[in-house]
Amino acid sequence: MKAQLVSIITLLIVCCYVANVGAAGKDEAVEPLVFPASYKVVTVSNGGTITGVVKFDGDMPVMKKLEITKDVNVCGKTDKFDESLVVGEGNALKNTVVYLLDISEGANFATKGADGKKKQYGVDQNGCRFEPHVQIIPVGERLTMINSDGIMHNIHIFSKKGYNKAQTKARKRLRVPAAKKTEGPISIKCDVHGWMAGWIAYFNHPYYSVTNEKGEFKIENVPAGTYKLGYWHEACGTNKVEPASVTVVAGDAVTQDFTLTLKK
Amino acid sequence: MNRRTSVLIFAVNIFVFSCLTAISVFAQDKNDGKALYEDKCAHCHGVKGDGNSEAAANLLPRPRDFTKGLYKIRSTSSGQLPTDKDLSNIITNGMPGSSMPAWKNILSADQIDQLVTYIKIFHDGFKEASPKEIDLADRIPYSEESVAKGRQIYKNIECNACHGEVGRGDGTSAPDLKDEWGYRVWPADMTQPWTFRGGSTPEDIFKRFIGGIAGSPMPSFIGGFRVGLTEAEDARVTELDDKDEMTEAEEAEYETLDAKVVEYEDLMLKIEEGEALTPEEQKKLDDAMKPISVKFWHLANYAKSLGPEEKPAPAVGDKVLRSQYRLGDLPGMADEAWNEIEIASYFPLVGQVIIDPRQFNPSIDSVTAKSFYNDNEIAFLFTWNDRTNSLPQEEENTGEILEDALSIQFPVKVPKGPTDPKPYFIWGGRRAVNLWYWKMSEPDKVTEMNAKGINKQEIQPAESQALESEWIYDNGQYRLWVKRSLKTEDKKDLQFEAGVFIPIAFSAWDGSNGDIKTKRAISTWYTFVLEPVPSKKRFVYPPLVALISVGLLFALKGAVQKKENENIT
Repeated sequence: MKAQLVSIITLLIVCCYVANVGAAGKDEAVEPLVFPASYKVVTVSNGGTITGVVKFDGDMPVMKKLEITKDVNVCGKTDKFDESLVVGEGNALKNTVVYLLDISEGANFATKGADGKKKQYGVDQNGCRFEPHVQIIPVGERLTMINSDGIMHNIHIFSKKGYNKAQTKARKRLRVPAAKKTEGPISIKCDVHGWMAGWIAYFNHPYYSVTNEKGEFKIENVPAGTYKLGYWHEACGTNKVEPASVTVVAGDAVTQDFTLTLKK
Repeated sequence: MNRRTSVLIFAVNIFVFSCLTAISVFAQDKNDGKALYEDKCAHCHGVKGDGNSEAAANLLPRPRDFTKGLYKIRSTSSGQLPTDKDLSNIITNGMPGSSMPAWKNILSADQIDQLVTYIKIFHDGFKEASPKEIDLADRIPYSEESVAKGRQIYKNIECNACHGEVGRGDGTSAPDLKDEWGYRVWPADMTQPWTFRGGSTPEDIFKRFIGGIAGSPMPSFIGGFRVGLTEAEDARVTELDDKDEMTEAEEAEYETLDAKVVEYEDLMLKIEEGEALTPEEQKKLDDAMKPISVKFWHLANYAKSLGPEEKPAPAVGDKVLRSQYRLGDLPGMADEAWNEIEIASYFPLVGQVIIDPRQFNPSIDSVTAKSFYNDNEIAFLFTWNDRTNSLPQEEENTGEILEDALSIQFPVKVPKGPTDPKPYFIWGGRRAVNLWYWKMSEPDKVTEMNAKGINKQEIQPAESQALESEWIYDNGQYRLWVKRSLKTEDKKDLQFEAGVFIPIAFSAWDGSNGDIKTKRAISTWYTFVLEPVPSKKRFVYPPLVALISVGLLFALKGAVQKKENENIT
């Protein structure tokens, strides 16, 4: 009798849970990145470097060619592909954000480039495609959207605050207001050309890197210490629950590779 | 349990209870709103205000998720929260074309205010926000000149990408649009302003250009123009932009002009980032924004010009469809004679929600019709707006063919009077209906069918198929022309007779909206009449009567004269 009661209650709980999950709807929530609650800028001298390669474990995916249905004379000049999973030679996984989860002190963002000019954090719309596919912007800095296409794009940023502005052909550059808080990953789209998709994130520290076509990342000038090293990839997900632990020795380099599989 | 523990528990209970009472007293305002919200709003918007509810699954557009703070209809700039007035306006007046009803006749103004206070609790941003209303001063009045300027701007900033060349919401990007929750949404059909969610006055439309429709693909166009340049400078930048290569001097010129735009953009960014401008800066920006505002007013006037002043009245009463008598041949589809009938009769459609599978979110608003007849034939011109010319395509799960289609429905036997029952309005029942069915997979014919129920239809045999038809899909609108003899030999056909009120009803399918079989937009029964020709007998009887009268008069006169003559003699 007691066992029956327990099983009925368990069943009820499971039902409620399932119903709840069902009610969550179509929203496929993006796993947020992990940011330190506070970050203190200090002078870092003789910092270490974290490098590595991110590889994809699975059958070599065939990139889906996108059907260009509008503004073909501009958007269709070159073939366009779904860039949610870009795997190169040797299974190198591009566009993975690799970053420190728990750094609370470190260097300032280098907001000036090597040429002494203020660094621009830009995303170009060229041939109806976002370049780069993933862009990281410091908190407090403005993202510059570049329109190289001479047609209207709308900049639709799926941030908490929401942002959606038309960048007509009259506006080669359109700057997005700076974020006050860390946030990301944030999806960025153009509704006029529904296939255009990219990601941005607002960081409060400079210890991140986005993998290149060889799957390589490099995080420099890290103060000596032991850190949690995490990754995020739009199709492969994140390891933030069980991040890698890396120990950085002053002036030295440490290697940490990752092998990712598709999100379940 | 000993006595001391019991007392302790009792004391704790009393304490908790009094605390709760105290809180509820302090939070009286909030609680009134809460009770109201849970009674009236939560069924769709969810108890947590996140738009998740039992009902939500069948609603499109979806009920608003208040926790995100993304409100579509605002009188505030892009990226800002709505004002309290915006929220109370929506509750008061509802949102046309969506499931949000107007509450003005159900709730008092005080109750609506309580709801506004309560729904703001779902989003933290309201605590610190003091949203500024978009300035509606200096409105450019409606004029042909302003409309013409607006039309040019509509093209320049590419509104047509979504809203289509003539504004029917049929732009090339329209079929793929989704909102931020991943649900399919359609651009507004500018020719049907009564479907605009946030109202269709020029002021309403103006606000949408500046503020956008948050959470939807409709962006704010506030950054769409180069602020701070004179018209000549603006034209010069366009000219330089179009050059493949610039000389050094041109590049310098370009940089100078661009720097001006950047300067004003900086001021706008500051506001968006929550920084206050100095009064001088504010004035400088306001002055520079004036010519931009003018452009938006022209655009609003153009948008206004695309639709009728008022929503057409349904084809009942004095608006019923009247087929006009014509001597000689009936006009073909492209014939200008159709323009002689100024206003087409308007038949509103609704989703078919009685028989499964249902259509809760129909995309076709209405069908309109005009008709002519002569001594032998009758012709109809039907139009309906459909944002997509959906070519036949397989439905993902069932493999059935989804396509655009229209059915025109008559009873086989015309009811003898208003009390004589009509067939069931969805494809008949015990009483049969006569259907004229057109579909995109065989667009060059209209098939005659009969039905005695939604799944009991039969196509008439080939020898009974006698409809002539023509069709066209043009910028988001179908036009279908159908002609038939007034009388046929076929017992299953409706026989047209002048002066008789004949029931008519419609079903329309939009394939790309998932319409198939019973999942469609339908109308109820309407009536139409072949306007009776003034009788030819008028040429016979009056002269005849006159003739007889004159004859009688002469006869009388003759008789009287004869009598007089007799008297004389």
